[in-house]
Amino acid sequence: MKKWKVFSAAVLSAAMLAAPMTAMADDAYRVCFVARASADTFAAWLTNEMKKAADQYDDIELTCVSGEADDAEMAKQLEDCITKQYDYVIVQSNNNAAQAPYVKAIADAGIPVVTTNPTTHQADLDGETGDPEVDNAVMAGTGTVDADPVAQAAVGAKRAVEEVPENANVVVFRGPSGNYHAEKRREAWDTYFFDVRDDVNILYEDYANWNNDEAMALMETWVQGGTHIDAIISMNDNMAAGAIEAVRNNTDYIAEDGTPSFLAYGVDGTAQGCLLIREGLLTATALQDAGEIAALNMKYAEAVLNGEMDYTEVNDYVDAPEINAENVDEFLKIYIENGEISEADLD
Amino acid sequence: MKNSKLTAGLQRFSIFIVLLVMFVACSLLSPYFLTPNNLMNVARQLCVGILLAYAEMILIVSGFLDLSIGSVLALSGVLAVSTYKSTHVMVLALLVAFLVGIVCNMVNAVFVAQFDVPAFIATLGMQQVARGIALYYTGGANILQLGKFVQLGQGMVGPFPVPVLIVLLITVIVWYLFNHTRYGRSLYAIGGNRKAAEASGINTKKSIFISYAIVGVLAGLAGAIFMARNNSGIPNGAVGYEMTGLTAAIVGGTSFSGGVGTVMGTVAGAFIIGFLENIMNLIGVNSYIQSIIEGAIIVLAVAFDIRSKSRKQTKQIMAVKDEAPKA
Amino acid sequence: MDEIKLRVEGIEKSFPGVKALSNISFRVRKGTVHALCGENGAGKSTLMKVLTGLYKADAGQIYIDEKPVEIRNPIQAREYGISMIAQELNYVSELSVEENLFMGRLPVNRFGKVDWKKVRREAIKFLKEENLSYAPDQKLKTLTVSDIQMLEIIKAITNNAQIVLMDEPTSSISEREVKLLFEKIQELKEKGVSIVYISHKMDEVFRIADDITVIRDGAVVSSDRAEDLDIDTVIARMVGRKMENVYPKEILPLGDKVFEVKNFCQKGIFDQISFHARKGEIVGFAGLVGAGRTEVMRAVYGLDPKESGEILIDGKPQTIRRPEDAISKGVIMLSEDRKEYGIIPVRSVTENASVASLKNYFYGGMSHKKKEKEDVGRIFRKMNVKTPTLDTLISSLSGGNAQKVLLARWMLCEPEIMILDEPTRGIDVGAKFEIYKLMTDIVKEGRTIVMVSSELPELIGMCDRIYVMCQGLITGCLERKDFSQEKIMMLATGLLNTSDREEER
Repeated sequence: MKKWKVFSAAVLSAAMLAAPMTAMADDAYRVCFVARASADTFAAWLTNEMKKAADQYDDIELTCVSGEADDAEMAKQLEDCITKQYDYVIVQSNNNAAQAPYVKAIADAGIPVVTTNPTTHQADLDGETGDPEVDNAVMAGTGTVDADPVAQAAVGAKRAVEEVPENANVVVFRGPSGNYHAEKRREAWDTYFFDVRDDVNILYEDYANWNNDEAMALMETWVQGGTHIDAIISMNDNMAAGAIEAVRNNTDYIAEDGTPSFLAYGVDGTAQGCLLIREGLLTATALQDAGEIAALNMKYAEAVLNGEMDYTEVNDYVDAPEINAENVDEFLKIYIENGEISEADLD
Repeated sequence: MKNSKLTAGLQRFSIFIVLLVMFVACSLLSPYFLTPNNLMNVARQLCVGILLAYAEMILIVSGFLDLSIGSVLALSGVLAVSTYKSTHVMVLALLVAFLVGIVCNMVNAVFVAQFDVPAFIATLGMQQVARGIALYYTGGANILQLGKFVQLGQGMVGPFPVPVLIVLLITVIVWYLFNHTRYGRSLYAIGGNRKAAEASGINTKKSIFISYAIVGVLAGLAGAIFMARNNSGIPNGAVGYEMTGLTAAIVGGTSFSGGVGTVMGTVAGAFIIGFLENIMNLIGVNSYIQSIIEGAIIVLAVAFDIRSKSRKQTKQIMAVKDEAPKA
Repeated sequence: MDEIKLRVEGIEKSFPGVKALSNISFRVRKGTVHALCGENGAGKSTLMKVLTGLYKADAGQIYIDEKPVEIRNPIQAREYGISMIAQELNYVSELSVEENLFMGRLPVNRFGKVDWKKVRREAIKFLKEENLSYAPDQKLKTLTVSDIQMLEIIKAITNNAQIVLMDEPTSSISEREVKLLFEKIQELKEKGVSIVYISHKMDEVFRIADDITVIRDGAVVSSDRAEDLDIDTVIARMVGRKMENVYPKEILPLGDKVFEVKNFCQKGIFDQISFHARKGEIVGFAGLVGAGRTEVMRAVYGLDPKESGEILIDGKPQTIRRPEDAISKGVIMLSEDRKEYGIIPVRSVTENASVASLKNYFYGGMSHKKKEKEDVGRIFRKMNVKTPTLDTLISSLSGGNAQKVLLARWMLCEPEIMILDEPTRGIDVGAKFEIYKLMTDIVKEGRTIVMVSSELPELIGMCDRIYVMCQGLITGCLERKDFSQEKIMMLATGLLNTSDREEER
């Protein structure tokens, strides 16, 4: 048993050593992307886009690893980045506060490090000071490329102010408690919608943890409550899709001809979200474009590695374009091009 | 005598008493609880969980368990979905789901029965492997636009949801297996005392393989229904569902030490949890509080069940003592 | 000389719904062995628990040296000089001999640290005094069950005890060790220690007891000097009726050789084992604990592997790889270890009885539970199994009744050859007699029994022929007319070699 362990460890470490060695062979810059997880739709998409973006640059050799949504695993991967002496590290945190010291350690080791989706802030390392200027600053010694969660959620919230009927009853689906993007998106809905429309009543609100099936189960039960739900407010498209699935065969919500008697707002602009908009069931969403995040990341990596700029100057946010019934087809085209859906799916 | 028969009956059905109390309490707590729509809704939500609970019950009764079922569900589900998308043949998609479930569980069975690896470890390994394959196959992305496949999870036959009808059929089959086949009786014997079962001429290895094969079919079916309900092939779906299945089986009176458990008890266990979650969502209990209440009620229900059963046993021991002198 | 060491006066003990002990009184004289006899469930074990402070009596008084005492817990019992050897061994196999010896009374220094040097010193001294060949740091799991039992016995009686309670101390030790134990008891008596001795084995009781108290249904039936009693009287009082004959043996004409085992070998366990049995015959297997009898039977039945050997049934060679093969060929085995290989505790008596013949009740895609209940009920009536209902859990039956259920399990298979390994171990006299009667009925029906037993009287009483094993070999085979305890013991201890045996023939 012990021998077997030693043997497998030897094989594994040999394999690990071999991987970067092939990269070193052709003098390219060695960049590592540490993803939050591989079992997470968006993280998986982002990883794919990172690889595609890196292929555009001959002098970048990209290695992708994943923290599997586990802070201990993230810590290990980040420490490995120092050991393996990458030239540039891009980090997608699972839990900002937990990864902050390890991100800092990479910076302290003199390796350029950029946090992406989400940004790691100074407050993640030091704790909240109460001074928004200090707290919202990007962590010292790091750069960032991100999507702004407030801007993303504001897209739907601002539309909703106009669209949601007076004294409407709404339900809210939240992402995991404590998740930076989940909390910020929810804050944006307060700022841009609930504070403005105090006539609106939140009938139910619960955490569905970004998950389709959890949102579906909640929605199924909530519609039994008797009060008609006028709007589904979801912090991502995945949960919105689950909630919509829950009422798909309910004639109180979707008439025989497919017209919904409710509004639904998501964030992310996933393929599924776009298909639902096309179907007329999701009202609007905002795109969090993994492709653009990846492209920007690689653009800056190339610039930093070639000495054109300092990595702490990297500070850029992708736009959050609105997707709605008018423009959904152009976004669907992107998904068809990247193979996530096919022409046949539009029938 | 009549009275003692009555109490014995009550004790035997103690878990159904818990269910009944729960049902009455729920009806009082929310006027919407007792509507046909809501009850059908609970039944529909429980479908996947009940299938997994049957699977776990089969294994726990014979002294094993399956921690891989959530992952195997996801793997067989996404493969079934992609089969359907390329062929549009429902039967083929279901066959793929069953086959994937069976293959995964045959690997489990080989380790458990042939190499005597504890089921906990063997199936924990499969949990990772199956999930990994599902994610690798889909690249971590959901498979969308399932077309008619969703009928399996969302369709209706008259007033009855398709998945509820499927689960009813499976319930009859599992009940039949447990009560009317040699295999079912063997499971109880193996779980009660594996060595004694072997010495009584039961081919325990064969039974273990059959059990895992059945578990594979159940996992595959659950996977297909899960994906159909969600109208997507979700490779990272159903994480932790093995616990859902285990909990329903255990609450329903299945004993972790093996040899004890019934199909109807497991159904009752699943509904106890289902009603509990339903009523808390209906009256809008904060989800942190929900978790606290659910944990507490599960433990209390099981404690009540165990207590009333142990009372029944002491009564019987006394009965023997009382009778002995007469004989 | 008739100084009373322990006096029990009017002890009563009830559990909810049942009176376990009513007005129990008896006196134990100093320096004597006082036997307590009674069927299982008569209340002996409850009484023991009262004496060691595990149960509190509802009424009555215990006197030690004619002074009233109150025993509230086992520690206090020990302080009064009462020491107990339990029937069921409770030991931790990972403990060492010395740790076991000093369990519960490890010497500690003033900081609470165990003084291991002292433990080792005393353990070595103790083992030497008692002529035991174990090393003090040897793990208990490396000892045999009988070694451990002896260790427990010696530990209990060297604990400066004045009164030693022994509950079935010989149930898992061999004849030779029984001798050792009795020598030890003799020594104790001379030192003035009183012994309360519980045993089902009447011959043992009469070998060592000075007084015998019989208990039935929680009450004292009689309390007399042993010399005024005989075995039949005691048994009659225990069961409340007169026993005609302890062994209901009937000599039947024997049929053909139906079962033959040839040259069974399993390296290091048994070698060159050949034996046969005729139709209607009861063939015994005698030997000391560890002689390999159980191992042979398990290999024959297909529970354990064998290296070589052949089995012939009705003269035809048969392959038995697993118990199911054996059962399908009409060979069954009642295991000596009822708990591990017999009872399925969480299931009902019916399911326990039918588990080996499920194919008779589940066929054609249906269950036939009515037939199952009828068959089981019929065989239970025939075997006089006492159970409240057919759905009662087997774990709530007494040892004797549970054993009968297991026998019923095998009877339902309609076997031709029944291997019964220690069929009467740990069950009371009444139930034993019923099992002997059943065995007689079984062979009358033309079946064949191979019985392994460590109780020589029952082998001698019931068998037509006895094979004797010693250290994995068959050292002899005796015909009924040649049966005697001495001959069997000689063969069992290897004192009589093969050539002697040939001469005898």
